[in-house]
Amino acid sequence: MAAEEGEYPRLRLAGFGDFNFSRERRIEGPRGFSVGQFVLHLTSQLSSRVTFFGEISFTARTDAGTGSPPAPGFNAEIERMILRFDRSDRLRLSFGRYHTPINYWNTAFHHGGWLQTTISRPEMIQFGGRLLPVHFVGALVEGTVPAGGLNLGYKAGVGNGRAGVISRGGDAGDVNSDASYLVNLASKPDAVYGLEFGASLYADTITPATGDKVRERIVTAHVTYQKETPELIAEVALVRHEQAGSVLWSRAYYLQAAHRFPWDERRWKGYYRFEHINIPPADLTFAAVRNLDGSTLGIRYEASPFAAVKLEYRTWLRGAGSTRDHGGYFQVAFTF
Amino acid sequence: MMRAPRSRNWLPSTLVGWLAAVLIVGAWPTPAAGQAGSAGQDVAVVVHSGVPVDNLTYAELRRLLLGDREFWASGLRVTLLIRAPIARERDVVVRDVCQMTEAQFRQHWIGKVFRADTANGPKIVYSAENAIEQVNRTPGAMTFVLASAAAGKGGKILKIDGLLPGQRGYKVR
Repeated sequence: MAAEEGEYPRLRLAGFGDFNFSRERRIEGPRGFSVGQFVLHLTSQLSSRVTFFGEISFTARTDAGTGSPPAPGFNAEIERMILRFDRSDRLRLSFGRYHTPINYWNTAFHHGGWLQTTISRPEMIQFGGRLLPVHFVGALVEGTVPAGGLNLGYKAGVGNGRAGVISRGGDAGDVNSDASYLVNLASKPDAVYGLEFGASLYADTITPATGDKVRERIVTAHVTYQKETPELIAEVALVRHEQAGSVLWSRAYYLQAAHRFPWDERRWKGYYRFEHINIPPADLTFAAVRNLDGSTLGIRYEASPFAAVKLEYRTWLRGAGSTRDHGGYFQVAFTF
Repeated sequence: MMRAPRSRNWLPSTLVGWLAAVLIVGAWPTPAAGQAGSAGQDVAVVVHSGVPVDNLTYAELRRLLLGDREFWASGLRVTLLIRAPIARERDVVVRDVCQMTEAQFRQHWIGKVFRADTANGPKIVYSAENAIEQVNRTPGAMTFVLASAAAGKGGKILKIDGLLPGQRGYKVR
């Protein structure tokens, strides 16, 4: 035991990165070549039951530098910082900054572009997005129980909720006296290997930078099948905002299908995703969230076991009466 | 900010497109994953003698291999020791038990660690002797070696679905 204790802390460093090229009919994102995210992931085992996880990203932005107007540069961000205590598979307790575990994509792929099949994330959970809280600062208790082959996983958390700028988490403290709560249940049944399904509830009170408090309730659900022949991911999110006696529901979903082709040593994977976002015009909390009906069609090629090349076509509408837009995208994504 | 009413005529064409995509990718022929390798010996699942388990179901074995289960019932942490690629034992557990290619298995574990589900992936061992030696000295350890290499070397050979290596119907082969 003493010899084993001498092995700690046991630090491991890994990383993800991507380079991109895009061409859009009407520019919504970066134009031409762009450096994607450079992500460092640190795992340090502090004892056989205590582990630290960290994730730091460096993102190219047009306004990250100094001066007026600000020069382009890289924005550094602590994406995750988690200290976890493992009692058993049934009980783990952690504290820190998480990717909010109410959305499958948000916790399955994090900032590892190489891990996700597509170039883009679904817009309902895009980085810096407002529809769903991407980050969660607080404490989480989680575990899995066999449950007769259902393999039920649970997560329950309490945290600060959204900051005044609702795309941000409450990193420096809560903006109000109301904590946020979340519960997530998911199952990976033995009977259908590769299948996972689950649902989440999230409750918070938002205090926007401008305007009155808003009671927020979010219900999400997901189904995935991850065998790659095919790979299916479907998620839906309903967001309820209650403000000054009025109740407004926003909804979003996406469906993604992919298939790894059998030829060329299974290096090619084709994919398609449809996504939809609908925001009530009266929901001023989501005034900056745009409606969407979009399709993404692409192909991914595994250039090596740790690097992938992706080519993607997207077409989308921003609500009734809007002009259809489209764009072509290219990405090299890797892990190291 | 005012928004125009949402159009609903996108729905039928979108659903048709979506279903067509699912059917096309779902019907694509797949290679015969899960077939047994060339005729050979059964692969024994060997654990440290202190592991309080004698039998695992095939599904439990898969969950252990994929890191979905990290502790034995006694609270002892599982340490996975797996042969390096190309070894037959690894081929059997990756291809047949996990139903993955080597690339999928690596990506699974990179993702598992990145999601903060676990701190460590499987440890690589380079020979059956090395695997059993490490199992014998690591509480909670588990490895996979050809049954002929496991006999009489210490450790505990687990039953899978009630069967030991060499018995008719043993699946890890």
